[in-house]
Amino acid sequence: MLAFENAPPFAAPLRFFLTAPLFAALAGLLVAFEGPDIFASRWTPGALAATHLITIGFMLQVMLGALIQILPVVAGASLKRPVAVARVVHVGLTVGALLLAAGFFFGAPALLGIAALTLGLSMLFFLAVTVSALIAVPTTSPTIRGIKVALFGLSGVVGLGVVLALALAYGWPLPLMALADLHAGWGLGGWAGVLLAAMAYVVVPMFQLTPGYPARASWWFPLFMLLMLLLWSIGVLGDWSLLVRLGQLGAALAGMAFAGLTLRLQGQRRRARPDATYRYWQLGLILSIFGLFFLLTVAIRPALADIDGWTLMFGVLLIAGGFIPFITGMLYKIVPFLSWTHLQTCGQAKVPAPAMNKILAEPAMHRQLLAYAAALALLLAAIVIPAWLARPAGLAFAVANGWLWWNLAGAIGRYRHHQADIEAKLAAKLTAP
Amino acid sequence: MTTIRSFMTDDHRRCDDLFAEAEQAVGKGSFDLARAAFGHFHSAMLAHFDSEEKTLFPTFEAKTGMRMGPTQVMRMEHEQLRSLLDDAAEALKMANAEDYLGLADTLVIMMQQHNMKEENMLYPMCDQHLTAELPAILERLETELCEQ
Repeated sequence: MLAFENAPPFAAPLRFFLTAPLFAALAGLLVAFEGPDIFASRWTPGALAATHLITIGFMLQVMLGALIQILPVVAGASLKRPVAVARVVHVGLTVGALLLAAGFFFGAPALLGIAALTLGLSMLFFLAVTVSALIAVPTTSPTIRGIKVALFGLSGVVGLGVVLALALAYGWPLPLMALADLHAGWGLGGWAGVLLAAMAYVVVPMFQLTPGYPARASWWFPLFMLLMLLLWSIGVLGDWSLLVRLGQLGAALAGMAFAGLTLRLQGQRRRARPDATYRYWQLGLILSIFGLFFLLTVAIRPALADIDGWTLMFGVLLIAGGFIPFITGMLYKIVPFLSWTHLQTCGQAKVPAPAMNKILAEPAMHRQLLAYAAALALLLAAIVIPAWLARPAGLAFAVANGWLWWNLAGAIGRYRHHQADIEAKLAAKLTAP
Repeated sequence: MTTIRSFMTDDHRRCDDLFAEAEQAVGKGSFDLARAAFGHFHSAMLAHFDSEEKTLFPTFEAKTGMRMGPTQVMRMEHEQLRSLLDDAAEALKMANAEDYLGLADTLVIMMQQHNMKEENMLYPMCDQHLTAELPAILERLETELCEQ
């Protein structure tokens, strides 16, 4: 019943972590290639393609890899054959994200259809595997509740996404814009937002030695977000705009409250110096509060969404300003730590493993963070003056994410090097008289 | 009511406080202060491991018959933590702030995820299986952890 040692092999999550930055870099290149036109509206083929390269190719990629890794540790739910699951999901996600982006970009119905099928089936498989592992796990912590609610959110965003892609491909008469908003709500709020909170309950106190999240608020946050999305969904189904706006308002306020609370907890941290993870989280928390402010204004006055750049600002602030920094910050802890634990196991307590900063050094992460912050500033400015800044912003975004890949791949290279070294030393010790 | 979970969790938090003091001192560059603070942290950690390995785990194993289960994994992690603690003490002795802070980062995550497993899984199991032995065990843990 206990899953103390059921953490999966490194290869299971690693493939996701190393693929994700490439997708973000590809999105940047797409922006650079398309130039100012991509900022004309969120509905341009380029903007839709770039958005999904990031949300599926980067965000979903890392989130699923991390879930495969941590489900046994935080929820005691071990997946059967984690490496096989990881392989199937990773291929489905990677191929599906590329097909979907190509389908949007070239306006190709057939590609959209195949992408919807590939992504839908991969996610159905992932959900089946995780739900069957979680079903017997009692909900004993806010984190477990958060993960369960988030998986429900995942089914929501994927279901709506598949319907939207097929509607677009085959011209089904559906209210596409209202459904696309709802799809984004389930994805960013119900799935990514709730999962982020569930992880934050564990990792914020762990990495920064802050006080814990208040228990009642952490139990309620996932359910409240779920309730808001259900209201929003009923509003769309029944065409009751007031209900839609109420759901948006509640979701925005809940997100802002979570980010504000996390900022306050981080203010009470007891670690000696701010590291790259901490700075990435500070950046992400502040910018997601700004991003959610745009959602809040639209919930109160829907006409604001018609202003040029208003919803683009929301999307860039929340996704590129919030989620990517949260995820990058966590990757910078997870990859060195997993490397270290696997090296520990490899050395069998006879050969010591190098500390985390020998796998991935702080200055390398810090410089990448500065590059990412610069890219982000350009990207936000490009919404206002696309003619001048769209291409530089896209290029800078590609460079910053390429750099993230370089840092992570370097860490894995050093991990492999140390692994070979430890194995050699171990063999020498065993053969020595 | 005091349980094994609440008592041992409090001791984890006390160790966290001592760790934070040592790291703060290194951050400020005062190595004498840091060595003293780390000394307190180091001995508090070792006392905590000892009380688990000599008192809590054997009682749990005897009662449940689970000898190769969770307690074995915890013992292995104690070994990893002990070696990290030794390395960090060595880095402090050499006044090498960079190495110390790198080791501290590894130590903090290793320690926190280890604590999480104990607090969320092992201690509740102990409370559940050792109801009859609870007062006696708590008394022993209390003496062992307060002696130092």
